[in-house]
Amino acid sequence: MQGFLLGLANGTTCLTFCAPVLVPFLLEEGKNVRQNLMTVLKFLGGRLGGYMLFGLLAWATGSLLLRTTSYQGLVIGAAYVGLSALLLVAVLRKKAPAGACAFEGARATFSRWPALIPLGMGFLAGLKVCPPLLLAFTDAASTGTLIGSLFVFLMFFVGTSIYFIPLSFLGAFAHVSDLRIVGKFAAVIVALYYLFSGVLLFTGGVRL
Amino acid sequence: MTASTKTRTGSPPMAIWKALLLSLPMFLITALLPLQALESGELSYIVAILVMWLGFNVAFILMLTTGQTYRYRSVLFILLAVALPLWFIPMMIETHGSMMLSEEAFVSAEANFCPLATFMVIVPALVKRIVIFPSALAGGLGFATAAFMWAGSTLALGRGWCSWGCLFGGWDELFSRLRKRAVIKNIDRRWIYLPFGLLLAIVLLSAVTLSPIYCEWLCPFKIVTEFQAPTSLLAIIQIITFVVLFFALVVVLPLLTRRRIQCGLFCPFGALQSLLNKINIFEVRIDPEKCNQCKRCIRECPTFSLNEGSLESGNPLITCTKCARCIDICTKNAISFHIKGTSLQASPAVARVLYLYPGFVLLFFISSANVGAALHRIVKLITTGSMI
Repeated sequence: MQGFLLGLANGTTCLTFCAPVLVPFLLEEGKNVRQNLMTVLKFLGGRLGGYMLFGLLAWATGSLLLRTTSYQGLVIGAAYVGLSALLLVAVLRKKAPAGACAFEGARATFSRWPALIPLGMGFLAGLKVCPPLLLAFTDAASTGTLIGSLFVFLMFFVGTSIYFIPLSFLGAFAHVSDLRIVGKFAAVIVALYYLFSGVLLFTGGVRL
Repeated sequence: MTASTKTRTGSPPMAIWKALLLSLPMFLITALLPLQALESGELSYIVAILVMWLGFNVAFILMLTTGQTYRYRSVLFILLAVALPLWFIPMMIETHGSMMLSEEAFVSAEANFCPLATFMVIVPALVKRIVIFPSALAGGLGFATAAFMWAGSTLALGRGWCSWGCLFGGWDELFSRLRKRAVIKNIDRRWIYLPFGLLLAIVLLSAVTLSPIYCEWLCPFKIVTEFQAPTSLLAIIQIITFVVLFFALVVVLPLLTRRRIQCGLFCPFGALQSLLNKINIFEVRIDPEKCNQCKRCIRECPTFSLNEGSLESGNPLITCTKCARCIDICTKNAISFHIKGTSLQASPAVARVLYLYPGFVLLFFISSANVGAALHRIVKLITTGSMI
């Protein structure tokens, strides 16, 4: 129950952290409310996967993971680069330049299983460490059992997910075709930002 | 073409006595500034403010007597933009030793608040109750002053802010006017959505990072105001980005296209103003019956705010900055200022004057802090040999 309340209390922060990825993607897809709801659910499904991984790690490592400074650089950096790649794939898969061989494989895969994009985004977004997640991690680590740890994260996920549902209503503007172009531009900008941040985090930050 | 056969463009000219009479309210309102300057007792400052007051009012009278809005507005608007660094940089040198702010200065919120940052601070201010821009909350160039000025001018002019109130727009207006012919003529119209994409992305990312991402990474005007000292590789990358963006978006592309590229195809604050334009009563309208489809307005619009659809519907795109370029060049007088809720045939001359009043007042009072201060620095340079 504590995990649920924690999620409920901090859901807006989680939403703020995921919105830069999810909002441009939903706009760019230009789907209606029902289809958007499915996309949000897929995203949440991926996010649940990320949280369960955290639950597992909290049980396995206790609070050791949080004290490992290289974690932030490596895992979050990789998650950012992954998010960036997925956003770029989402935007470019429908209009890849002819002969973009390196891109062909990814395009074919994501065209066959389009659900992989929101799922993947959700999973990688779930790996981003935001302050409420750290609290949940500490809670989960203190339970001492695998089931207890997973349950804390499951309830935390449920508590935070409520805030994501209204994003489906962006589909109410699906008829405004201009918004799709705006979404595309926003997705590319967010992708470039995450790519840059991811590389910086991966290399451990650069200082003169 | 001889003067006698030349087709007249712009709004109808006005008799001098009528123009003087209509200028009187502006003359009196703006006189508050020189009256206030007299109290300072500093001769160079009083002279600077008097010159500015006189110059601006003459330009306003010329707008009315000639019927040309763009020409005179543009001169004043460019003056405003060019004036800013002329006083701001010496002021920075006086207070901080250089244009560069140290990390400590940012931490202690010593940066001057920029109105362009408003769109980034709204979401964190509403959700987290935090002002993420490193400036003071109140005071001369603080958040409250800028927010108040922005809210008032948005109400009065909508996106007209970008032609009358923006501190920086005059830079790319200047460079867009330097060449007679455009070198690059065909620009994919989808780029007009970039500012909106940028607005969305920056608002969302600023809420996550709790930092003004646009100011940190993308503002071309940092190099004519202030920026963080290059104490790290990241800061050096930031400065290089500012320089590249300034020369690309504000100098080179406006020169090559004769358009305001930064304002029309990049500025996210302009996109915000476009979205808020609905709350403002002034608009530009096209009379499809008068229009002869010469499409000169489409080719000349500095911010890509007109297309074929606009000529049919009678409405420019929401990105229209009400700069009056199209109104001034239309040989058929098919384009005019208009007050929402009135008929298209309702006197465009009245709508124009009513629009010019708030536009001019905003431009004058924003300029008063800039052009006046810049003139003051120039007078100081002439009399003492130093602007500092």
